[in-house]
Amino acid sequence: MATVFSFGAFAQNGGETGEVETNNLGIDKLEEVVVTALGISREKKTVGYAVQEVAGDEVTRAKADNFMASLSGKIAGVNVTQSGTMGGSANVVIRGYKSLTGNNQALFVVDGIPISNQITNTGNQRTGRGGYDYGNAAMDINPEDIAKVTVLKGAAATALYGSRASNGVILITTKKGTKRDGLGVSITYGVQRGTIDPNTYVKYQKEFGAGYGPYYGPDTLNGYFTDAKIVAYDVDGDGILDPTIPTTEDASFGLRFDPNYDVYTWESLYPELATYGVAQPHVAPDTDGSDFYQESVTTNKSVSIDGGSDMGSFRVGMTQYDTKGIAPGSEMQRNNFSFNGSLNASDKLTVTTTANFIQQAAKGRNGTGYDSKNPNQSFRQWWNVGVDVNKLRQYYEQTGKNITWNPYGYGSGSSTLKPIYFDNAYFSAYENYQNDSRNRLIGNVAATYEINDWLSVLARASVDTYSEMQEERVAVTSVDVSRYGRKNRSFTESNLDLVLTANKQLTDDISFNGNLGANSRRTSVDYISAATNGGLVVPGVYALSNSASTPDAPYESAYTIGVDGFFARASVGYKNFLYVDLTGRQDKSSTLPAANNTYFYPSATLSLIFSELIDVDAISFGKLRFNTAQVGSDAPAQALLNSYNMGTAFGSTSLASAPSTDNNANLLPEVTNSTEVGVEMMFFNNRVGLDVSLYDQTSSNQIMPTKVSSSTGSIYKYVNAGVINNKGIELSLSATPVRTDDFEWNMNLNWTKNTNMVESLYGDLESLQLASVQGGITIEARPGQAYGNIYGVANVYDDAGRRVVYDMPGSYGGVRYLRGDADVIGNINPDWMAGFNNSFRYKNFTASALLDMRMGGNFFSLDTYYGFGTGIYDITAGTNDLGNSVRDLAADGGGVKVTDVAYWDGATVDADGNPSGFVAGDYYADMHYYGNAFGWARAPKDLHVYDASYLKLREVSLSYSVPSDMIASYGIQGLDIGLSGRNLAILWKNAPYTDPEAGLSAGNIQGYQSGAYPAVRQIGWNVNIKF
Amino acid sequence: MKKILIAASAALMVASCGDLTSLNQNTKAPETVPAGTLVANATVSMMDYLSTVNVNVNNFTLWSQHWTQTTYVDESNFDYNNRDVNGNTYDAMYATVLRDLSDAKAIINADEQLDAATKAQQLAVIDILEVYAYSTLVDVFGDVPYSEAIGESLAPAYDGAAAIYGDLGTRVFASHAVFMAGSDNGLGSYDLLYGGSSAGWAKFAASLGLRLSIRMADVSPTDAQAAAEAAIGAGVITLASESAALNYTSSPPHTNPYWDALVQSGRKDFIAANTIADVMNMYADPRRSAYFKNLSNDSVIGAAYGLQSSYNLHSQPGTALENASRPAMFLDNVEVGFLLADAASRGWSVGGLTAASLYDAAVAESILAWGGTATDAATYLAQTGVTYDAANWKTILGTQKWLAMYSRGNEAWSTQRMYDAPAMNIADAAQRVTPLRMSYGIDEYSLNTSNVEAARGGNDDDTSPIFWDVN
Repeated sequence: MATVFSFGAFAQNGGETGEVETNNLGIDKLEEVVVTALGISREKKTVGYAVQEVAGDEVTRAKADNFMASLSGKIAGVNVTQSGTMGGSANVVIRGYKSLTGNNQALFVVDGIPISNQITNTGNQRTGRGGYDYGNAAMDINPEDIAKVTVLKGAAATALYGSRASNGVILITTKKGTKRDGLGVSITYGVQRGTIDPNTYVKYQKEFGAGYGPYYGPDTLNGYFTDAKIVAYDVDGDGILDPTIPTTEDASFGLRFDPNYDVYTWESLYPELATYGVAQPHVAPDTDGSDFYQESVTTNKSVSIDGGSDMGSFRVGMTQYDTKGIAPGSEMQRNNFSFNGSLNASDKLTVTTTANFIQQAAKGRNGTGYDSKNPNQSFRQWWNVGVDVNKLRQYYEQTGKNITWNPYGYGSGSSTLKPIYFDNAYFSAYENYQNDSRNRLIGNVAATYEINDWLSVLARASVDTYSEMQEERVAVTSVDVSRYGRKNRSFTESNLDLVLTANKQLTDDISFNGNLGANSRRTSVDYISAATNGGLVVPGVYALSNSASTPDAPYESAYTIGVDGFFARASVGYKNFLYVDLTGRQDKSSTLPAANNTYFYPSATLSLIFSELIDVDAISFGKLRFNTAQVGSDAPAQALLNSYNMGTAFGSTSLASAPSTDNNANLLPEVTNSTEVGVEMMFFNNRVGLDVSLYDQTSSNQIMPTKVSSSTGSIYKYVNAGVINNKGIELSLSATPVRTDDFEWNMNLNWTKNTNMVESLYGDLESLQLASVQGGITIEARPGQAYGNIYGVANVYDDAGRRVVYDMPGSYGGVRYLRGDADVIGNINPDWMAGFNNSFRYKNFTASALLDMRMGGNFFSLDTYYGFGTGIYDITAGTNDLGNSVRDLAADGGGVKVTDVAYWDGATVDADGNPSGFVAGDYYADMHYYGNAFGWARAPKDLHVYDASYLKLREVSLSYSVPSDMIASYGIQGLDIGLSGRNLAILWKNAPYTDPEAGLSAGNIQGYQSGAYPAVRQIGWNVNIKF
Repeated sequence: MKKILIAASAALMVASCGDLTSLNQNTKAPETVPAGTLVANATVSMMDYLSTVNVNVNNFTLWSQHWTQTTYVDESNFDYNNRDVNGNTYDAMYATVLRDLSDAKAIINADEQLDAATKAQQLAVIDILEVYAYSTLVDVFGDVPYSEAIGESLAPAYDGAAAIYGDLGTRVFASHAVFMAGSDNGLGSYDLLYGGSSAGWAKFAASLGLRLSIRMADVSPTDAQAAAEAAIGAGVITLASESAALNYTSSPPHTNPYWDALVQSGRKDFIAANTIADVMNMYADPRRSAYFKNLSNDSVIGAAYGLQSSYNLHSQPGTALENASRPAMFLDNVEVGFLLADAASRGWSVGGLTAASLYDAAVAESILAWGGTATDAATYLAQTGVTYDAANWKTILGTQKWLAMYSRGNEAWSTQRMYDAPAMNIADAAQRVTPLRMSYGIDEYSLNTSNVEAARGGNDDDTSPIFWDVN
């Protein structure tokens, strides 16, 4: 049962102990207490804004390596997406994107300490140009230590946190010691194994080998040589030209496989291999890109000890979390050590402290985006389907060398084979690996003094500090210039809080509680990165001193942000049914110009418990809530004055360059206004619950580097501009259809619809580019449209919405889609999201299943954009409805049938000069070389924009609690055994070959897949034993 | 209680310390720098743009049909929007080159320690670099932002290409006069082209004036003649040692971009186009072994322009380009030689020299510059089709200048457009010849919409010629 806290007390002040039990519905029992901003615990019924909670065991039941991912589908209004790499970041956006270019990630607060959730992924990584997803810093939180997660969604709920809470707050309350006899010991052990979901990976064609088309002439020999699909080269040195697969070609528009025809391949070229100089039958291999991935194994071990008495309580915990990822050579480890203690130093003074020490290390993270270190760049986009992936592994293991399927160097007078575009994926995984580590301390010291029976004061100092290192390597003999780079970053945030709390019954009918406080925050980051220049001298030595040329000066950056704030809150209650809250906060920030650096913002909330006023049997509880709030926000550090970039000297001549972003010394604070109304009701003796929120939030005066015409001399300019609005509905429904002593069934549905609208940008600016990504795609914000439009060259459509096709002239003519102008071809935002959980308890068995659904939104796939042009996907081969190979010319009855399109004769135009005179029908498009109708060379971009909708079986769990009478004699107080599954199936989706949720990194650049990793189905078991 | 209050107040005092604003200072980057560092950076950045064969930034070595691509032939087929090559050109030239020059100008103007004469020299250096940058932009796009560029306006208007050229000509001659009045511009090693020598800059200015004049010879011959003769009289570059050359360094990052592409990145994307191969083979060009490798009996094996072709089966960019520190030319004696030959061919006064002798000298200088001998040059020039022919001078001179501008994509393309020689092949996939200009980038349409839509009278077609390309 929930412990009822006194009003105005602080969750971590030691006055309370014990875990707060809540149901997982976010709809709590009458006397439920919730944690609100600054850790203030309040009776939920008095709170005039939406608060939703998730219990700790909900987060750990089916573990995700980033605990944020396990919030997906559990809370209305919270949009969680995972990028899909080992240890990768999770994008957590509450109630829509509010900042055009700034941070939209929720703020994480652990036991009153705001903790860093920095995403340090590079700009290149986020835009698909290669790099590693290093995750978000908040994923250091140990799920095993979480007692509950509380989500504060709106501005009114978060106003007391000031500037940076406008994106919502995820409050984490950790487990504390409980008052008990002796010590409690809890041990958990679990293992999860994961395999890729084949439904989210490429389906390869198995008919045609390497090549781009028939142009490997001259036609020196007969037979297969005459169609110029393979190369004539004297592989075995007998002076006779041999039929050779063009190994420089990373596409599969080559020769049809034929077991009766022997060809020389990449395997014939390496003297190290037994196949050197040997021809082999031209056949499809046994293994393909999906076989590159191995089983992942995650092990978690956790021990905690807690105890408590009248003097106080403590809990100490240790968790070790080891992961071996699906990519060869990838591994990750995290150790969490935590301590929580509270001491009742006198009957008036309570001293508490928490300390979390976290060690995190990874090696061989998955390369992302369009980069040679991401195996999917090749496997999904540029590939010879004749390559046996298993042999790549075998040859790497045998030689330790970069034996690639994609060498050049033969036949050009050079005897050295080098990769032309792609390394051996195993060589790359094991030799071009990265590693990183982070050591982190999060802790606080607090003292609460009860001045009298209605007034107390809290002083607290907290710190979150870490240092991290990231090292990246490219080995000698790789396709990229060999390289070693390292980055070191240290981060420290300190907060000092002083809060006076009052809690008094003024009259019989009127209660009062409130706070008066001050907060001083300092955040500083110090960063340095350095890399070798022009390659490495000695292979295998990854040190800056091993640079072939003099390294450039390391890049340094350092900044400090200081915000000093004062705040007040007053809450007045009338007769247990009407509660009114007023808050105000004034911040002064270092990042704004001195003249404009102080800003004040208020909030007001109202809670009316109407069930106290009416008497309807079916209604157990009813509350209306209303709130309105304003939140101010400051600028990023160092956005006021311009400074020059010092470049690497040209010989001995120093170079400096003006910044590409023009800063602005006249910035003003940003403003976010929000209003929210909601109703909470419980029916039929609390068996059915309903919670609905409607909100409307507008952020204006946004501080952003807006893109400007580069003819201004800058590419970006910091301005105050832009208005963005989010309106939405959040709905939670819960029900307990069955509840007996032995059996209970709970169900719970969350549904969220957020509508985002960019109302204006800077001046008459018609577009704000969030990212420009490969494939001629931009992600933009445009006035009058939702944030995150995907923009690119679209097909021309007829009036009925059919794609227009035409016959392209030239030697490779045939049916192609008609490309029109650049236009909006998608948007990153879902139309709605839903989570549906059912849990069953029968005696000591508990089972639950969570469905997670997203409807709408889009992404552009660079994978099919290139991959359809390289002929590696199943749709580029096979037979058409006429029974002919699609690789045959359409004129000969081949080609891919394109249905329900409109044909344009290439000449007829209307009065405005636009194509017209379309004839609807079905046509056949050639699929004989890279410049086909579907690949990058000819396709309109919108052909590769996909619906991001999905319905996933996100979590399934089954657990059994061994009856205490069976184990008590062994001194065991509890023994739980569980089975769990995570991401077991995508039950429905419209996007082929991929997980529609996959992305590159958390952040504002979404809706783009390049070298996407497959989804991983995880199945595991765990045991928890308590003494 | 008291103790608690004292402790709490003390803690609060520790907390509220100091001036917040000073925390925001960037301690790792300066707010001002010596102007020379910006001038030097602009010089390097401009040459990096002109010399790069990175398909995202500059495609003109392809467009001039010296090279074609092996597998990914999009840029050979003039797909430049996909990689935003036009937008990247703006970014490189405006946001880096012209911006740095503009900031340098402001720093020099505000420098109270600098004497007026030196200040004038330095501003004139900046002026010449700006003229070079703007004329490069005009030659690529036609109308571009000029009078309102790099200023307060967030939506700079487009100026007419001809008007920009006119103003650039005026600036060149004004700067030339400044150089003639001085001797040392005080930039020292920041002056990467002439090491501070005003005499060197005077030659560069006059030669640039000549280039602009010749460019306009077909569109306004009278003015062009006067300007060209004035430039020639002012003293143009005649020796290789006088050339406006950037001597790249031998180690990254400031290496010749051709080396970056061909050696450092190791990609095998480029091969000889049949267009240049056919011309070189027809006259047994002595530069073939310098321009290309993997020859067949001294012949360049060219691939059909724009068609996917094998790297191994064709000639590849030559070893002469595989030199990290190879100097790159803004303007050299070879180009000036051809400009003088053009002027003489039109009957303009070139110090009494004949068109044929000037042409022969220019061709010979090019051959010498690529490692050939005077004998090679003489043999080469003796062939019909190479020998100067007054009746057909545009084709002959144009073809030879186009050959001589190898590894200078922008100038090779401009030369071909000017003389319409040699004939460009139809790119295989695009099914058209090289465009006559580049259309404006997508960013301009979204960020500077009304101005870009008004540019060139609304004609942004890349088959519509630049104002000087009239014949």
